[in-house]
Amino acid sequence: MNFEMTAEELAVIDSAEQVAREVIQPLAQHYDETETFCLASIRALGDLGCMGINLPEEYGGLGIGSLAMSRVVEAVAGACASTASAMTAHFLATDSILLGGTEEQKQEWLPRAASGELLAAFALTEPAAGSNPADMRSRAVREEGGWRVRGSKHYITNAKEADFIVLYVKTDPDAGHKGISAFIVPRGTTGISFSSPEKTMGLRGSTIYELSLDCWLPESALLGVEGQGFNTAMAVLDRGRVEVAAMSLGIANAALQASLSWVRERQIGPKPLAAYQGTQWRLADMYAQLESARMLTMKAAARRDSGERFSLDSATAKLVAAECAGFITDAALQLHGGYGYSRDLPLERYVRDARILRIFEGTSEVQKIIISRALLDAAK
Amino acid sequence: MKVLACIKRVVDYNVKVRVKADNSGVDLANVKMSINPFCEIAVEEAVRLKEKGVATEIVVVSIGPTTAQEQLRTALALGADRAILVESAEDLTSLAVAKLLKAVVDKEQPQLVILGKQAIDSDNNQTGQMLAALTGFGQGTFASKVEVAGDKVAVTREVDGGAQTVSLSLPAIITTDLRLNEPRYASLPNIMKAKKKPLEVLTPDALGVSTASTNKTLKVEAPAARSAGIKVKSVAELVEKLKNEAKVL
Ligand SMILES: Cc1cc2nc3c(=O)[nH]c(=O)nc-3n(C[C@H](O)[C@H](O)[C@H](O)COP(=O)(O)OP(=O)(O)OC[C@H]3O[C@@H](n4cnc5c(N)ncnc54)[C@H](O)[C@@H]3O)c2cc1C
Repeated sequence: MNFEMTAEELAVIDSAEQVAREVIQPLAQHYDETETFCLASIRALGDLGCMGINLPEEYGGLGIGSLAMSRVVEAVAGACASTASAMTAHFLATDSILLGGTEEQKQEWLPRAASGELLAAFALTEPAAGSNPADMRSRAVREEGGWRVRGSKHYITNAKEADFIVLYVKTDPDAGHKGISAFIVPRGTTGISFSSPEKTMGLRGSTIYELSLDCWLPESALLGVEGQGFNTAMAVLDRGRVEVAAMSLGIANAALQASLSWVRERQIGPKPLAAYQGTQWRLADMYAQLESARMLTMKAAARRDSGERFSLDSATAKLVAAECAGFITDAALQLHGGYGYSRDLPLERYVRDARILRIFEGTSEVQKIIISRALLDAAK
Repeated sequence: MKVLACIKRVVDYNVKVRVKADNSGVDLANVKMSINPFCEIAVEEAVRLKEKGVATEIVVVSIGPTTAQEQLRTALALGADRAILVESAEDLTSLAVAKLLKAVVDKEQPQLVILGKQAIDSDNNQTGQMLAALTGFGQGTFASKVEVAGDKVAVTREVDGGAQTVSLSLPAIITTDLRLNEPRYASLPNIMKAKKKPLEVLTPDALGVSTASTNKTLKVEAPAARSAGIKVKSVAELVEKLKNEAKVL
């Protein structure tokens, strides 16, 4: 397995880290406190040319490998997890078009999405279909010249801010998951209404919405081939989980770095907190978990580019990295004591932001289902 | 008009530098390196001149090890048109660098040469001035504003207690100060495209310049650690100490 990156990829990571540190990180607390969409940060990523790092050059993307891409996601998440979530939700939508769209649809939507001109959302989850998307109830029925779409989706990142939504609905309710198709829904389509942003524990600068749909879409809105939606969504999530793993590394590393400076400064009685063995062992555990998660993430990223199946790798990386981010952010808060619990420092935000990583793009339990299924299939 | 922007590869300004155990220099192993911040301002100014239609071509030059190609690529991503590396693994003095730059100036015949006022590694603040002496061009150092009009350039300089504006005939040398501009970030697509821009590698020998040093670094030491402060019991004691110990009153 090859973890090497080109000189250009290293320079890309460098530039993204600089913008994350100098532009995005200073805004993170503001968006968290005001619970507003992280617009300036997403704009900064658009100006940087970061909104197409998941796409090949032929569609206006950067054409970098997944290893470099995941390092960029890590840098953004370490600065502001909300921004990373809004960015990766956009990638889920553009990946859907890349994997499932016709050539014409790719040409129409991807270059403008990659340049940051258009923001996208990915709408799969419904109130009664989260871990079990095949049970979705939203439907599209063929009408003359197009489709009538009815139903609802919820917890959709960027939904109201997006210029287009990739929407997954049933076109054949009797065909199970094979009856799911995807559509491209442009902003301003009549018959879509949005809830107010949901009130969430973390990622408060990345707004999520419930949407109700009763709208008409033209034939050309059908993404690629009818009945292929479920396969597309699953392939997109295989890719997306590498990005969630990378986000986990970013938040976890930010918490670890904050802890390393804190324990050297904080005096407990005669000596700094770092001089106590209990602290040292905790730091070592944090680091060991982070590096294990990092290796799994790199492996999944390298596999993602290899053309081989990588569901097992990306599910394993996502499971371990998300769980480790939970452990590390909690340990970091503990090392900070009451200061960690105070909202003056970002430690409590890290804990709240990291909590979602075990839930979206497949809960930890769902990753275990994917992993064990792959293992048992291979053992047949 | 052709502009030559000069850049140096230095330890990134965010890095906490460590002195080597044998005091022979600063430890550079696995340390992040970047374009010297003042040189980045030089590149940015050249790019702005090109965007204004004043400059037609930007050549960026660095003198240093093979790895300085990384910084040249960054400058190409920021907007330079082509790059020249004068490759030397030696620890060069300001004068040796100025002589090499003079040779590049002779070869390229730029109308404007922009350099950083100093590099944040050794803080010499000499190269631009030496280059001006060697070329005989006018110099506007510590620039906070640059305006080209016809065959003249007006340079506003940061001097003690205010600003001074000098008018120079082209070709001229400018060294940048912090307030001249705020450099942009290299956009990711431009970083990828920079790979295709030309980068020429030269050697001091090929330029016919001897870089033999007249300086010798004897020892590099970290600054002494700051000692803890003291508490005084009264204002009278404070005044007494300021007068007699610190001798500031
Ligand atoms: C901040 C945020 C952003 C989101 N963004 C998006 C988005 O952009 N687009 C989108 O489509 N969705 C989005 N989601 C939805 C998210 O993907 C779902 O919440 C997630 O998939 C879990 O589904 P659920 O909430 O219905 O939980 P459920 O599926 O109801 O899960 C409840 C519990 O049951 C467990 N469980 C489920 N099935 C099994 C099983 N077979 N065996 C054992 N345990 C099981 C789960 O692990 C979990 O612990 C977002 C959610 C949040 C909170």
